[in-house]
Amino acid sequence: MDDDTPAPRRKPYDLPLPTPPDALRRGPLREGTFTSALHEPRTAVVIGRWLGAALLTCFLTGLLSHLLQQPPGWLRDHLPSRPVNGYQVTQGLHVISGIAAIPLLGAKLWTVYPRLFEWPPARSVLHALERLSIAILVGAMVLEVFTGLLNTLQWYPWPFPFRQTHFWLAWLAVGGLLLHIAAKAPLIARHWRRVRPGLAQRRAFLTAVTASVGVVTLTTAGQSVPWLRALDLFAPRRPDVGPQGLPVNRTAVQAGTSTASAENWQLTVQGPHPIRLTLADLAQLPQTTAELPIACVEGWSASAHWTGVRVRDLLDLAGAPADAHVQITSLEKDGPYRVTDMPAGYARDPLTLLALRVNGQVLDPDHGYPARIIAPNRPGVLQTKWVTRIEVL
Amino acid sequence: MPMRTARTLLVLVGLALTGCGLYGIATDPYIDLTHHPLDIARWAIGGLVLHDGLWLPLACLAGVTIARTTPVRTGLIVAAAVSAVALPAVLRAGHHNGNPTILPLPYLRNWLLVLAAIAVITAAWSVVSHLRRGRRRRP
Repeated sequence: MDDDTPAPRRKPYDLPLPTPPDALRRGPLREGTFTSALHEPRTAVVIGRWLGAALLTCFLTGLLSHLLQQPPGWLRDHLPSRPVNGYQVTQGLHVISGIAAIPLLGAKLWTVYPRLFEWPPARSVLHALERLSIAILVGAMVLEVFTGLLNTLQWYPWPFPFRQTHFWLAWLAVGGLLLHIAAKAPLIARHWRRVRPGLAQRRAFLTAVTASVGVVTLTTAGQSVPWLRALDLFAPRRPDVGPQGLPVNRTAVQAGTSTASAENWQLTVQGPHPIRLTLADLAQLPQTTAELPIACVEGWSASAHWTGVRVRDLLDLAGAPADAHVQITSLEKDGPYRVTDMPAGYARDPLTLLALRVNGQVLDPDHGYPARIIAPNRPGVLQTKWVTRIEVL
Repeated sequence: MPMRTARTLLVLVGLALTGCGLYGIATDPYIDLTHHPLDIARWAIGGLVLHDGLWLPLACLAGVTIARTTPVRTGLIVAAAVSAVALPAVLRAGHHNGNPTILPLPYLRNWLLVLAAIAVITAAWSVVSHLRRGRRRRP
């Protein structure tokens, strides 16, 4: 990337650093180590644009998922329950763009690899800081896609908590990305447009990278995109594999609810007029059927026909005010989603059900028997299974 | 927007987001940095060292040795991408913690099939481009 080197104008506050003695310039630090003609800025700019688009999509959809899962107080009452499949689309996109970023990140880092051995290692303090920020950017980015990919398989070989680390590393990675774009802006601008004739090798390389993105996307996206299901070769889920043809994130045995039985089960709706309902009582209430997706934070999603009682009907029976926000408790022994909050916007939605049946059958224990919540446009972890209590707050 | 303004803005937002990430990692009660100060750094630096110190030298070496033609280079790039995405599932197949809906597919078979398909396409492409080049040389 020679055209970066015509010594940039040094700013008065930027302290120059000495060049180390040439005797230290050994191994890959020597000139001419890397022979490919593609270690050059135009290739980096083209792949960088694709990678930037994938990462930005991944970041924004991830942020949205975080806000939906743990809404801050000011946002809680403004979350929309429409479109019905909103979270299915955005979280599917999150995982698709994250997987697409894997070959793109690999190609980008290969293209700029010789820059790691540039000489002198640091021209000035500012240059040293820029290189440090690139180390943070690459370290955060590589760990981010790695943890994200492994989380889709529920594989956690690292000692830190996944969700919090993945969330905060994303800020670090995107911050580093913006600093990187700022530092390289003149170079990016110089190579933004294609110069004809193009490099034949570059075209071949970009074609290979495009093919890579295509293949990894087509062989994994079937876990959230129904018409790609037949090509799902490497995704950790198949939307049609599981009890009653639906995948499960946490089984009844894992949640410690496998002994729940209809005889001793009762639903409590705690409100101005508290009520207790048995399964038979619930079956007597007006039933509604809705086609709603379960969309998991890990990217897979599957639609099904759910039948049950509207949550708003239950709230009306308990005398809850129209703007009531409710708390739902599961029979689960523990777990971060044993108790979940449901803002009024979801609780009042005519499609939000306390489901008793799926696709015409009584719920499998793994799907939340005796009763589960299913609401439109919500992350799967909030679709509480094995519901025992609904409390008006 | 003049370049200068855009760059200043990018630096400011970039520093703010970086600061936000560092602050989050430092203060998150689940990450608990005071008791586990180096866990994340160790994995981030480990990833960096493995990627830049092992994987990229191998990739560069392959580029100057076996991957000398466009079909072979393309085949290897696609195979590497597929392997990066598929290998965790291949290695993890069967480990579902009692939830058989996780990793329900024959991942090893699928991976080998896709690698075989890439090899076949690469070989066919190599033959075709070889024949074409031969024909061009004979006028």
